[in-house]
Amino acid sequence: MQQDLKYVGKYVPIHDVKEKVTGKIKYVGDMEIPGMLYGKLVLSSIAHGNIVKIDTSRAEAIPGVVKVYTHENTPSTLYNSHKWIAGLEVVKDERLFTDKVRFVGDRMAAVVAIDRDTAEYAATLIDIEYEELTPIIDPLEALKEDRVKIHEGSNKIVSKEIKAGMPEEILNKAEIIVEDDVTTQKVHHAAMETHVCLTTIEANGQLMVWTPCQVVFQVRLIVSEVLGLPLNKVRVIKPPMGGSFGGKGIPVLEPVCAYLSYDLGKPVKLQMNRTESIIATKTRNATIGKVKTAIDREGNILARDIEMLIDGGAYFTNAEAITMAMGKKAFRLYKIDNQRYSGEAVYTNTPVGGACRGYGSPQIHTVTEINIDHAAKKIGMDPVDFRLKNLVHPFDKDPIGGPDLGNARAIDCVKRGMEAFEWKKKYSKPNDTGRFVRGVGMACATHGNGYYGAYQDYITMDLRLTEDGEVILKSGIHDLGCGTVTTMIQIVAEILDIPPYKVMATEGDTLLSPFDSAGTQASRVTFVCGGAAMKTAELLREKLISYTARIFNCPEEEVIIESEKVWHKDHEENKLSYGEMVVKIQQAFKEDMHMNYTYQSKGNPAVYAANFVEVEIDTFTGLVRVLDVLAVHDVGKAINPGFVEGQVQGAIQMGIGFALTEEITVDDQGRIGSNNFSKYHVVNAPDMPDVKVLLIEEGEEHGPFGAKSVGEICTVPIAPAIINAIHHVLDIKIQSLPATSEKILEALRGKNKR
Amino acid sequence: MLLEFIVNGRGHKLEVDARARLLDVLRDKLGLTGTKEGCGEGECGACTVIINGLAINSCLVLAPQANGKEILTVESLEQDGELDRLQRAFIDNGAVQCGYCTPGMLMSCKALLMQNPNPTEEEIRRAIEGNLCRCTGYTKIVRAVKEVVEEK
Repeated sequence: MQQDLKYVGKYVPIHDVKEKVTGKIKYVGDMEIPGMLYGKLVLSSIAHGNIVKIDTSRAEAIPGVVKVYTHENTPSTLYNSHKWIAGLEVVKDERLFTDKVRFVGDRMAAVVAIDRDTAEYAATLIDIEYEELTPIIDPLEALKEDRVKIHEGSNKIVSKEIKAGMPEEILNKAEIIVEDDVTTQKVHHAAMETHVCLTTIEANGQLMVWTPCQVVFQVRLIVSEVLGLPLNKVRVIKPPMGGSFGGKGIPVLEPVCAYLSYDLGKPVKLQMNRTESIIATKTRNATIGKVKTAIDREGNILARDIEMLIDGGAYFTNAEAITMAMGKKAFRLYKIDNQRYSGEAVYTNTPVGGACRGYGSPQIHTVTEINIDHAAKKIGMDPVDFRLKNLVHPFDKDPIGGPDLGNARAIDCVKRGMEAFEWKKKYSKPNDTGRFVRGVGMACATHGNGYYGAYQDYITMDLRLTEDGEVILKSGIHDLGCGTVTTMIQIVAEILDIPPYKVMATEGDTLLSPFDSAGTQASRVTFVCGGAAMKTAELLREKLISYTARIFNCPEEEVIIESEKVWHKDHEENKLSYGEMVVKIQQAFKEDMHMNYTYQSKGNPAVYAANFVEVEIDTFTGLVRVLDVLAVHDVGKAINPGFVEGQVQGAIQMGIGFALTEEITVDDQGRIGSNNFSKYHVVNAPDMPDVKVLLIEEGEEHGPFGAKSVGEICTVPIAPAIINAIHHVLDIKIQSLPATSEKILEALRGKNKR
Repeated sequence: MLLEFIVNGRGHKLEVDARARLLDVLRDKLGLTGTKEGCGEGECGACTVIINGLAINSCLVLAPQANGKEILTVESLEQDGELDRLQRAFIDNGAVQCGYCTPGMLMSCKALLMQNPNPTEEEIRRAIEGNLCRCTGYTKIVRAVKEVVEEK
């Protein structure tokens, strides 16, 4: 580990914090362009059906309405908005406006008008006549029902198996088998900023797209595919963004809004309200999980079988990728030599699945970590001891040939957390009697660091030392509010030994940023993009030393570079600022002090976390309160510990919602119940505990300064930890998330009958 | 209708639709886009402003209800280039991530401190119970407000 770091490992406020606290920052919803028109979507009110007729005449008759769009006057080009890089094979089943209804929320039409009120009013005047078809809501139904087809082919769209060793044989003859069935629900990302996009056409034919997104080059690719425009005619810019959590990872509004602008030759803003954001963007995939684990009396896991059925919703998007992503995780947390994962995904007439913080990890870990607790209980072992016996060790190999686990500190997370939380004391205390009962639970998780081993993972960065000795970093990064820009700045500042405020880093702009292969996905930013920033800065530093040596006419070893100054080691009295040296080099060698470098990720180590939680349950009402959370994370090295803590604390809020309160409810006709925040319950401040964060910083070989990811894994272990606590306290079994008070009361009634 | 009110210390007379929401008047007519919309039904608090000393969701206030009132938005907090103590504390404590809930959060906290300069942690959490944040888990926001309280 490097010591004596000046800027890395310190809290530096997020780069645009002053604009944010003063309200001056402009999100896309705050941006205006002269002559800007307003779009409003019309979404389907039924879950499954054919369109008999769309009558737009009443809307078109409203003064101020510019044009109405439906499937009849827009491109029928099929696309899959999940595709983020050219060459990626995808199932294309989506179009700008659908010609068949597949879920409540499907895009039927859009009105463009001179102001927002007119667009909204006119949108209510579009008359759609449907021929209703039977909706398929339940994924199990979709799996067996093929007479009713949601798309042209089968409703079963993905079937994958991953296997290590001989799990069947061991499971068949094992003495102790522990089985669990757990379902997880659809969840809304609930970024406070709803989806929004602003587009226009420049006089030179350039299509401009301002969108809070996670992958500018993906938006450009999709817009160019749908509109049939050359890539260099589409310029996508990532402005400030009011949160994403994966929800803005897959383009939704961008190709639609781009088409409206392109067709009209005018600027158009298209913004969703909360209900539209909940039902008509993307959701966390619901899953039905079955797990079977064979153990011995000493607490060793002998074999495991996991089956996950994934509800893809009405369109394909990332169904295949997420089926694989969740399966791979199951092989990287515990050392299980014999294991089978089988994942299937289906279409249903429900809101569409997509990327959501953790990308399958919260689902599969919820299923397996609940099961791990049951396995420990079965043989009367403390679940922490059981885990310690089976967790992976640093530098273990992936049993299915995936990338090496690297400096995997899962055991440290559990051991350190167990002590800090006083687990043994709390876990073994006698059960409370009376109305309010308290107890503890814990769970672990693993996640990755980018795409290495699965997809292309590289980024190009351009770094320049200016004539006044400051720095400009150009790259296609995206700050979702997590501090990405500042993280890159701190890394560059450390290497070039310059205060962070003198480093300016720009975000994604497809015309001006060098290319990036994957954007803000897959927990790759700090590890891969941060690695790129570090390497590019090192190369620039070497270049500066090399040219300085030529200016001083000395060997490179005699050049000292420190605190924004360069000098010859024997002439400390003759220090030059970076800026002065840049100008000298320009004059002497006609050379620009910049570095352009394409960095390829060199690995994909695992990260680990353990969450310890104390809950209080009101046995009269079934309400669960989370009183205390300790989150322990194997982060390699925190570039900005304040940001890491912030990530973890926010993710715990999201995870508590997943465990207890949040669910996009869909009835048997496909209608969405929880379609606004009054019915979709995001955890608020009085219900949130003060989350304590403990970091394990043991360094990772290929990470910048040893850093690895945290932003996704931190939402994973909390839900199973809470459920495990509920199970432990009440001696009940919760088999579906969220663990609402109704489910808890029902389980308690069931227990009393036992 | 003619709407007469004071916003951030300045009197305004505006001709507005009587059905207009205060949120839209502030954003569209006065260009005060610091105030955000997150749900449009008073659940998320992104649109919180202070009306006659009380933190209120401006998406639930119609123009006639704002008539004659004194309104403070997030833009009022910085005075002569000097940040408010709350803004400073939000920065120092890392209470801001994506920033979208921040204006509403600040105004709820400001209203709390105007009424009660010494709130307990529970009172702070109650004061922001109507302000949802998806990024921070509230821990650092609460810490920031506590720091302002303790500074005095």
